[in-house]
Amino acid sequence: MVSKIGQLKIQEMIFMIVAVALLFVLVGIFFLSINLSNVKQTATSLAEQNSILLVSKVANSPELSCGNAFGTSRTNCIDFDKLISLSKKTEYSDFWGVAKIEVRKILPDEGDKICDDSNYPNCGIVNVLDKNVKILPYSSNFVSLCRKETDGKIIYNKCELAVLLIASEDKTQ
Amino acid sequence: MEKKGALEISFGWLFAIIAGIVIIFLAIYLSSKLINVQQTTISAETGQQIGILLDPLETSFESAQTTSITIPTETRINNICDPSGTFGEQYIQLDQESFNKWIKTNINVGFLNKYLFSERQVQGKKFYIFSKPFNFPFKIADLMYITSSDVRYCFFNSPDEITTEISQLNQSNLIVGNCSVGDIKICFGDSTCDINVDFNSNSVDKNGTSVYFGGADESALMYAAIFSDKNVYECQVKRLMSRLNEISSLYVDKELLTEKKGCDNNAGADLSELSSLARELNNSGDLEIVKMKADVVDGDNNARMCLLW
Repeated sequence: MVSKIGQLKIQEMIFMIVAVALLFVLVGIFFLSINLSNVKQTATSLAEQNSILLVSKVANSPELSCGNAFGTSRTNCIDFDKLISLSKKTEYSDFWGVAKIEVRKILPDEGDKICDDSNYPNCGIVNVLDKNVKILPYSSNFVSLCRKETDGKIIYNKCELAVLLIASEDKTQ
Repeated sequence: MEKKGALEISFGWLFAIIAGIVIIFLAIYLSSKLINVQQTTISAETGQQIGILLDPLETSFESAQTTSITIPTETRINNICDPSGTFGEQYIQLDQESFNKWIKTNINVGFLNKYLFSERQVQGKKFYIFSKPFNFPFKIADLMYITSSDVRYCFFNSPDEITTEISQLNQSNLIVGNCSVGDIKICFGDSTCDINVDFNSNSVDKNGTSVYFGGADESALMYAAIFSDKNVYECQVKRLMSRLNEISSLYVDKELLTEKKGCDNNAGADLSELSSLARELNNSGDLEIVKMKADVVDGDNNARMCLLW
């Protein structure tokens, strides 16, 4: 009789310990999930910050900028000839640390025609980079899109108004 | 009389004590792990933030720009450079002090488009970063030099343009002329200082070793050699040459496109040669050879009816 009471008490104790351990585990999981969600939010906010800062500077990077090719140096001027070559290069897919870079011509409006060798320069959108992932809202900046043009007699500089769009990957899901 | 033991504990109590100890031990262990994870996360976030804060330092027409970063805790910035891959990679790894103990993290935050020049490890709470464009002969990248506010660099006998530039930067840890004890002394045309710059051989002697600099504006790589550890410098020079290789191919494509509009096609062959010389660069000692070809390419561009850059 005594040993049965003892066994019962040990069983009670084991149940209690298992319950306490489970409580610890559940609290741990709850805390970890909050923590993980905070880390994801921070990563997303940093990615967004990156695209905001990048959009104001990337037009001046050597791969895109006009330099002195169109007369005097200009800020926020993109060389259309370099841009179209860059859009064909896969080496730059991770270079800027963003998920999408696009240049859309505004004036003149050429619609949603994606630029390639066959329609260049009479097209509306240059996809410099597209990782095909879920993206955060675009950061944008107005730029001049310049190229060399000819009327058959003289070669002249032609600059059009465009908008540069950059988006980072949405890592919240 | 019944004799009893000094301590009589029932099995139930013994079991509860052992289980309690195990649970408390596990809780302490998991909490300490969690704190470590938290500190690693903070270091990774700070590393990423530093990288993002470097974006506004990209120059357009400016010859140099400076900024400072202050981190609330004492921090060691580890500058890790990897030359492999198309562009190589710049990693930033942070160790932060917590309760008088350095917390080392194994998380490297990587950037393909950044070139940081510094000692292998820079320590402090406040860091100065100044940037300069590197042209060779066209713009390749912006070079960024990181120094701690705790370390003062004193430029002695520097040429006028360096003196003017350093003075205009107004960066409190870069001094011109009046050097104090404890400053890192940088001499020009002298070999008795901590760092010696020789414009005849385009070299910088530091810690008994030499590295070489070059470029359209030689001062960009000269500053890089002054502020950097030799391994970091050589690795970043290789990364810069890899980028030169990629940008050259963009200009070759551009020349073909503009040729259709009636522009000249005089630079393609030289650009390809420049590109292959840059690819084959072993160390900064080879910069002189690349520089000779870069000058030829620059001449080609200046002779064109339509400039490529």
